[in-house]
Amino acid sequence: MTENELKAAFEDHKDAVYRFAWRMMNSAPAAEDVAQDVFLSLLRQPARFDPGRGQLRSFLLGITRNLVLKRWRDEYRWEELNDERFPAKPLTIESDNIAEIVGEAVRSLPPLQREVLILSEYEELALDEIARAVDCEIGTVKSRLHRARENLRRMLAPLKPPNGVRSNHGTVR
Amino acid sequence: MEPLDEDELNHLLRKWEAPSAPPSLKQRVFPAQKPWLSWLLTGSIRIPVPALVVAAIVIALWIHHSRPTPPAHVAAPGSVSLADFQPVQQLQPVLVTGGQR
Repeated sequence: MTENELKAAFEDHKDAVYRFAWRMMNSAPAAEDVAQDVFLSLLRQPARFDPGRGQLRSFLLGITRNLVLKRWRDEYRWEELNDERFPAKPLTIESDNIAEIVGEAVRSLPPLQREVLILSEYEELALDEIARAVDCEIGTVKSRLHRARENLRRMLAPLKPPNGVRSNHGTVR
Repeated sequence: MEPLDEDELNHLLRKWEAPSAPPSLKQRVFPAQKPWLSWLLTGSIRIPVPALVVAAIVIALWIHHSRPTPPAHVAAPGSVSLADFQPVQQLQPVLVTGGQR
């Protein structure tokens, strides 16, 4: 991979890498640190990317995922990555900003459910790409994604519009 | 409380937007390299204090030893010093008379 190809890869994927890290960690400085480490890793060892095994985007998101989880493990050493008994209770709505409420709900999911949901819903990766990025079987991805969505449907129930009326202005009615 | 249906959940998930990567990220990944002339004019280097002290001592010693040594003091010709003259300890006068020698 030449320097120009590396710069093109950076321009093409920097937003996806940064967004994913930001959504996983809810911290702009931490997301920038992780995104920097992801691209420096590619700069130092470009041969680690094998085009025959998938797209560069899912490869970079996989590195991002590993760095984010490493930080998570350092911070929450005793918590489970995929807590099956996660109590998905309806959120107490204290803000009228729907984006904030949705972000809070997604961030409260166990990390292994959160990552597949973000990669699927926001980065629009296919199931096989998610499986490659998070290093597991497609069936496991489907199962985690299903549980994540079920949990969110319960947590965000207070935002259910009455009689199918939906607010388009970003506030709860 | 009734959970959201799939459409309602999809609609809400779209509301949560993430920012784009900040411009500073590019500078952190690809730091701009200054031309050497620019570095000479505006650059700076960090020197450890012990290395600086040793360098200062070496330079001071070198300057001290490379100074020309002053010539030894030589009495100017034509001047007479009486410093080595001693007073006579014992006089032994000799009478010289005429005709004797």
